[in-house]
Amino acid sequence: MIKAVMVMNTQGKTRLAKFYEYLPVEKQQELIRGVFAVLCSRAENVSNFIDAESIFGLDSRLVYKHFATLYFVFVFDSSENELAVLDLIQVFVETLDRCFKNVCELDVVFNYSKVHTILDVMIFGGQVVETSSSEIMKAVEEISKLEAASNSIALIPKSASGWRSR
Amino acid sequence: MSMHGMRGLSVFISEIRNCQNKEQERLRIDKELGNVRNRFKNEKGLTPYEKKKYVWKMLYIYMLGYDVDFGHMEAVSLISAPKYPEKQVGYIVTSCLLNENHDFLRLAINTVRNDIIGRNETFQCLALTMVGNIGGREFAESLAPDVQKLLLSSSCRPLVRKKAALCLLRLYRKNPDIVNVDGWADRMAQLLDERDLGVLTSSMSLLVALASNNHEVYWSCLPKCVKILERLARNQDVPQEYTYYGIPSPWLQVKTMRALQYFPTIEDPNTRRTLFEVLQRILMGTDVVKNVNKNNASHAVLFEALALVMHLDAEKEMMSQCVALLGKFIAVREPNIRYLGLENMTRMLMVTDVQEIIKRHQAQIITSLKDPDVSIRRRALDLLYGMCDVTNAKDIVEELLQYLSSADFTMREELSLKAAILAEKFAPDLSWYVDVILQLIDKAGDFISDDIWFRVVQFVTNNDDLQPYAAAKVKEYLDKSAVHETMVKVSAYILGEYSHLLARRPGCSPKEIFSLLHEKLPTVSTTTIPILLSAYAKILMHTQPPDQELQSQIWSIFNKYESCIDAEIQQRAVEYLALCQRGAALMDILAEMPKFPERKSSLIKRTEYSEGDTAEQSAIKLRAQQQTSNALVVTDQHPANGATSPVPVGQLSLVKVPSMITTENDTSTDHPLSQQNGALSNVDPQPPSADLLSDILGPLAIEGPPGATVQSEHNAVSGLEGGSDAADGSAIVPVDEQTNTVQPIGNIAERFHALCLKDSGVLYEDPYIQIGIKAEWRGHHGRLVLFLGNKNTAPLVSVQAIILPPAHLKVELSLVPDTIPPRAQVQCPLEVVNLRPSRDMAVLDFSYKFGTNMVNVKLRLPATLNKFLQPIQVPAEEFFSQWRSLSGPPLKLQEVIRGIRPMPLPEMANLLNSFRIMNCPGLDPNPNNLVASTTFYSESRPAMLCLVRIETDPADRTQLRMTLASGDPTLTFELKEFIKEQLISIPTAPRSPAPPAAQPTPQIPPNDPAAILAGLLS
Repeated sequence: MIKAVMVMNTQGKTRLAKFYEYLPVEKQQELIRGVFAVLCSRAENVSNFIDAESIFGLDSRLVYKHFATLYFVFVFDSSENELAVLDLIQVFVETLDRCFKNVCELDVVFNYSKVHTILDVMIFGGQVVETSSSEIMKAVEEISKLEAASNSIALIPKSASGWRSR
Repeated sequence: MSMHGMRGLSVFISEIRNCQNKEQERLRIDKELGNVRNRFKNEKGLTPYEKKKYVWKMLYIYMLGYDVDFGHMEAVSLISAPKYPEKQVGYIVTSCLLNENHDFLRLAINTVRNDIIGRNETFQCLALTMVGNIGGREFAESLAPDVQKLLLSSSCRPLVRKKAALCLLRLYRKNPDIVNVDGWADRMAQLLDERDLGVLTSSMSLLVALASNNHEVYWSCLPKCVKILERLARNQDVPQEYTYYGIPSPWLQVKTMRALQYFPTIEDPNTRRTLFEVLQRILMGTDVVKNVNKNNASHAVLFEALALVMHLDAEKEMMSQCVALLGKFIAVREPNIRYLGLENMTRMLMVTDVQEIIKRHQAQIITSLKDPDVSIRRRALDLLYGMCDVTNAKDIVEELLQYLSSADFTMREELSLKAAILAEKFAPDLSWYVDVILQLIDKAGDFISDDIWFRVVQFVTNNDDLQPYAAAKVKEYLDKSAVHETMVKVSAYILGEYSHLLARRPGCSPKEIFSLLHEKLPTVSTTTIPILLSAYAKILMHTQPPDQELQSQIWSIFNKYESCIDAEIQQRAVEYLALCQRGAALMDILAEMPKFPERKSSLIKRTEYSEGDTAEQSAIKLRAQQQTSNALVVTDQHPANGATSPVPVGQLSLVKVPSMITTENDTSTDHPLSQQNGALSNVDPQPPSADLLSDILGPLAIEGPPGATVQSEHNAVSGLEGGSDAADGSAIVPVDEQTNTVQPIGNIAERFHALCLKDSGVLYEDPYIQIGIKAEWRGHHGRLVLFLGNKNTAPLVSVQAIILPPAHLKVELSLVPDTIPPRAQVQCPLEVVNLRPSRDMAVLDFSYKFGTNMVNVKLRLPATLNKFLQPIQVPAEEFFSQWRSLSGPPLKLQEVIRGIRPMPLPEMANLLNSFRIMNCPGLDPNPNNLVASTTFYSESRPAMLCLVRIETDPADRTQLRMTLASGDPTLTFELKEFIKEQLISIPTAPRSPAPPAAQPTPQIPPNDPAAILAGLLS
């Protein structure tokens, strides 16, 4: 199964972190730091694999992909195929790209909730549920429609209080 | 979408981004958390929209690494909101912030269930996602049946069904005892008939989870998997959206092939042929192309196909094809493929006999050691280590040495350890070995553990030819300007012992050697100085004729260190000075060190050290036993000949009749029996006092080899024997009935279990006889001695002992005397050789006659699987690489085990240690996991490393997941089952006599009548 999905930028700031096995928040941060420490020392044009066992324990594998300012990191156990997970990262990024038209780090930062939605359509409790980018888009659009439909109603009571409390 | 409606969130995020430093960020976040907390307090004015916004903020803060310890209730309450967006946020946040044991989740169960069984598909999906992400016990209890229904419902959309499949998978993984999958095989097969590839992908994951626990039930799924694979490989009916870079759903292809690896073989010839055609097509039809993503996808499929071929152990021809492919991969430009190529080659070494073919690629593998990518270099190192043998050791080790100077610091320790092990294992000649180790110390002294240099010293000491060579060699290194301290240690030791062998060479006079060493003294630490002092003393002793100048120089050094603050240095200085001044006495004490006992490779050597420890421990235990129990088996501490040295435990020492026999036992058990059987009149109802007894019988049983003693006794009591024979003849009562009259003392099963853990103790006892056992285990050999002790004043006759060995053990029992004289004990040695791993047990069929009583018992012998294990502490790197290369079934098996006797983790570690499976702390960062290792010895194979990992669930101690890996499928399975049995039923030691039926006897194979009998007798 997939144990964790992380997106972090080249400065080591977390942009998305999803753990499919519960871990306390300090532990999560420790792992993220551990991964970043290894990633930031990796050159370009090397493999997409690093040894994860010293960070995540036995049977863990880690595959990452570097796009512009972001690292996309998937951690999983030995029941998954490394290259297949690499495909999955590609699908994830392609879907983000379709969604945001030329996705960049800021899109991920500000559309944090949408990124979550996409990830949930793809990965379910650590298992891959959808691998087709167009199917993912379909599902995400369906959700957006639902939100828009009810949001128009929800927006009415939205008053100045929403502003004040940001 | 949601973001556009939440400007507050966007603003918050920008403000966080604008923070100049961590401190500002923290302040901003604390302020926001305070704000949210306040808003939640007077919840009345809060609109659902606001709730949603705050909850997203909390999730954002949580992601940044701040603990959010409130608002959980709000997140959970959003789940029951009627509108989609709120509900969605509720579900998403709940699954991120809360863990499965959170109390609030209980509040949501009803809502979640309503969403799952309701008609709204969107809600169904949300609810399933949350349950799947959290997977808690209570969810499993109340929701699993509903989820199963959804999965099988034909009216559900694929979108819902695939989520239901994975939700079920997750609930099953986490709570296998609750989710009932009995009778699921047919349904699983039915699910594989699905056409929708999305649903199939999820179902395949479910199959992997189910089959990994119990593949036998899911046989019917096997042909269906092959069909699916065929459909994809031939690209039949694969919709466009599931074609990824021109490849039909690589993900499903990979998953399907993974599922197939959980079945040991494919028996149906048609299915097998189809599968191999498909595999052949994949192996041949994949090329490296320009597009990276396409490459990745096609090779994902290809590597999985390779793994499947390796697993099914196909015809040799396909194997060499695989190696050829891998050989191609390790040379391509694409680093991922190089990486996996090397990894799979290492894996292949484990499974099949392809070493020779892999060797052809040695040059390329060595090149990979210089790859710019450290991940690849590590894989290359693993592979070189794995493929090394006598023929290529020299090349490989020399490459490793060369690489050492340029290697990353993170790899040097592993590298030098591996080089040292290989050099020792496969050294073509010893001088080469010495060269290698000295180079290692020279290049990477900081990473050389003491073990390694100790080993060189042992070799040099034990090989006279090597001594001048080594001495000359270390001198060369000392001549260099910068010398590592470890080198100073080795040199000091070797030059101290053997520099006199060089005395005639130029520059090697004692004086020169001394000053060469002494130069280094100011630079070394206090641990090295004692070694230098010893070397000086030895050099001085070897200087013939004595050199007055050298002597005064060295004496003054000793003088100086006489007042050293370090106790070790001080003591040596004082002693050496005193010894030197004695002249001749010095010669004896400082003479050349004796040879070391022969030891095996350094990895195995570690094992032997720990073996020494256990021997010592068992000696202590034995002594403790002697003090507390009255067991018959007592090693003789006071031999009659007056020798005072303690008998080494390693040797089987003489055993004498006990100086004290439990009088209580005798009177309480003998008495009623002699009343029951009138024929037993020859039993002395009042045994003589213990002291008297030992006086009379002590010398009798002690002197001479046991056989001789027995023989003489035999003759002496022949008259008696005849008498009892006559008695036997007159007794027409059926033997069975008679046997029932003799009750064993103590619990046979408990005694057996205790003996599984220790090497000596009582195996069986009844009013007439006590059978003790003492065992010594070395590798696949076992030497047991049975001590048959007659407790009575009359002989036991018609003694018979037959071993019923299982197929995997070779057991030889020496002759058992027909008669055991009164109050005597005979020893019967028993040789055991282990041929292969098995949990079957050897049974001792033992019978004797006492008066008219014919007693026959069948006793399991504690020659259990664990006796052929040797604990071993594997270095982390070694462990990880082995674990990685043993990638899956049948070499690596995993099982969720339920019904464990709950125990804290340290206790479980102790239990494993007592089975000679050594806990390796620190390897697994998760404190709830336990990692252990051991080696298994059998005659058929070299020692096999076995790795164990146990993952416990702190919330439920009665279940755990165990993974076992070794290079032999049978061993993996047998050891897994063995440990399982031990974890499930641990005989509780202080048990009051319970009815035999209640005895835990799971070790008994159901079809072994002898063992069943033994169980019944307990």
